[in-house]
Amino acid sequence: MLKRSLIAGASVLALAPAANAQDCELTISVYSFAQDEFDEILYTPFEEETGCEVIVETGNSVERLAKIAANRESPVIDMAVVSVHDALEASRDGLLQPIDTDALENFDKLYDLAKDPLGNGEAIGYTFYATSIAYRTDKVEVTSWGDLLSDELAGNVAFPDVTTNQGPPALYMLGKALGDDDTSLEAPMEALGEHADDIVTFYVRSSQLAQLMMQEEIWAAPIGRFAWGQFKDSGLPIAWAEPEEGQTGGLNVMVMTANNGNEELATRFMDYWLSTEVQTKLAEGLVDSPANAEVTVSDEAAENLTYGAETVAQLDLLPPEAIVDNRDAWIEQWNALVVQ
Amino acid sequence: MSSSVFGNRTTGLSLTLPAALFAAALFLVPVAILLSEAFVGPEGGFSLSAYSDFFADPRYRAVFWRTLKLGVLVTLTAAIIGYVAAFAIVSLPPKSRGRIFGLVILPLMISPVARTYAWLVILGRTGIVNETLGLFGIEPIRFLFTETAVFIGLLQLFMPLMIVSLISAMENMPSDAVPAARLLGASWVQVFLRVILPLTREGLVIGGTLVFTGSLTAYITPAILGGSKVLMLETLLYQRVTVARDFASASVIALILILMCFGANLVLRRLATVKRRTAA
Repeated sequence: MLKRSLIAGASVLALAPAANAQDCELTISVYSFAQDEFDEILYTPFEEETGCEVIVETGNSVERLAKIAANRESPVIDMAVVSVHDALEASRDGLLQPIDTDALENFDKLYDLAKDPLGNGEAIGYTFYATSIAYRTDKVEVTSWGDLLSDELAGNVAFPDVTTNQGPPALYMLGKALGDDDTSLEAPMEALGEHADDIVTFYVRSSQLAQLMMQEEIWAAPIGRFAWGQFKDSGLPIAWAEPEEGQTGGLNVMVMTANNGNEELATRFMDYWLSTEVQTKLAEGLVDSPANAEVTVSDEAAENLTYGAETVAQLDLLPPEAIVDNRDAWIEQWNALVVQ
Repeated sequence: MSSSVFGNRTTGLSLTLPAALFAAALFLVPVAILLSEAFVGPEGGFSLSAYSDFFADPRYRAVFWRTLKLGVLVTLTAAIIGYVAAFAIVSLPPKSRGRIFGLVILPLMISPVARTYAWLVILGRTGIVNETLGLFGIEPIRFLFTETAVFIGLLQLFMPLMIVSLISAMENMPSDAVPAARLLGASWVQVFLRVILPLTREGLVIGGTLVFTGSLTAYITPAILGGSKVLMLETLLYQRVTVARDFASASVIALILILMCFGANLVLRRLATVKRRTAA
């Protein structure tokens, strides 16, 4: 029996009868993907272990953060998972509190990069992903981010929109290839603007890309590793580029809402999520790449994940401060230079 | 009408009260709150600056005109094809009329997401359209992520609404009106302009409003077939809210969309009444 209600909105939450009230419940706010797997690997076992009910709220991070901000006086959400830059923004808004890492048995097993990405103890990384270029090996060879603007690929590239999580990192790497790694991203945007007609689309959903690739609509696109599975299984000769400028990526973190009154259970849940057992299952299920360095996975799973200390250490990540501080300016600039 | 059924106005009005309260509390008030944000200036107080800012930006203006243009084009095309289809359908014997009518509304029962994804395949570089063109030696044409793709998607999405509206209008048309006009020597063009059009204007107003407002407010189709290179007001609104968290300009866009829908309805009604007077 599923003792959990997936709740779409705060209004629903307010109207929901407190029927199956148990001694304790934990309300979490997560990305909406792979909920069946999370249910099986994480929520249900945690419920069985603690006897507490896990209430899951899903949605995109903006909606979820807006809800946390709206309920700051009496928090509904106890813990949430968001991107590291969204966590920074929430932290600056005073919506978060430090996580008691002494109570986390699995804290020491994490990659250093994941332990305190905000530097104030308010966020802990639970998964990484690399971002590079997926490309058709029978059509082109991609050895640099700059190849995305080459004549060979003109009219055959999908580039992430600046508003997506992949957009700014991809622009940053393109800038590096052009010899300008300034976080204003002005140089890469200018270059991309000059080639705007050669870009098939500025995508906002990576789920769309595999189909575009199969339809020969595109030959190459920067993607997050979490989207790689759909390309690999397409039957086409598609490779994951290892550009000379390196790969970029992102880090997703767990955060604790301020004054939620349920800190103990939320911390226990975080610890469970970070445990080697759960992180291994999530990795084997190709749900999330592990942030726990003790996780070992099969070669097949490793192939699809951002896995291993070496890989993680090599990721060239945009600092979260740069993303939060520049986000509005990037969109303005993007509108002016790229998609006029 | 209420007075004839209930004997007095009060009973009739009080019976509409629950629905009115429901609409007011759950629709009008939230919408008013949302839209009021667009009238607050940078320093608080009433201001129209959000609107002037919106129309001062050439990119937003381009999105506005594109949305209007595609809305009008889709509505006009749907009306032209709709009239032909509706006339052909009402001329059929009742049995096959029912079958064809069922086929017309069948797409309405399929999710817009599925229908739009189908276009993604059909219009693709290796899709059926380009394969067919290839048989005649024509190089593949890029349809996806262009205004053409959005136009085709929207037209297919909303044309059934136009056809259904026109069919019901034509069914109410006296069955001997067209034969009579023909007998009196009117050409088919004259029959259409002087007989069919005036008698089916209500259907055209309803169908036109549905198609136009539908095209303006559709999200999935422009998002999937147009993407960020072919922004429409609806996709721009989504971008402002989810990415820029700019609720003020999102409110402006929402209000512009509402005004465009009301405007379209007014224009269509005006056309209908003016012509009816001259026809009478």
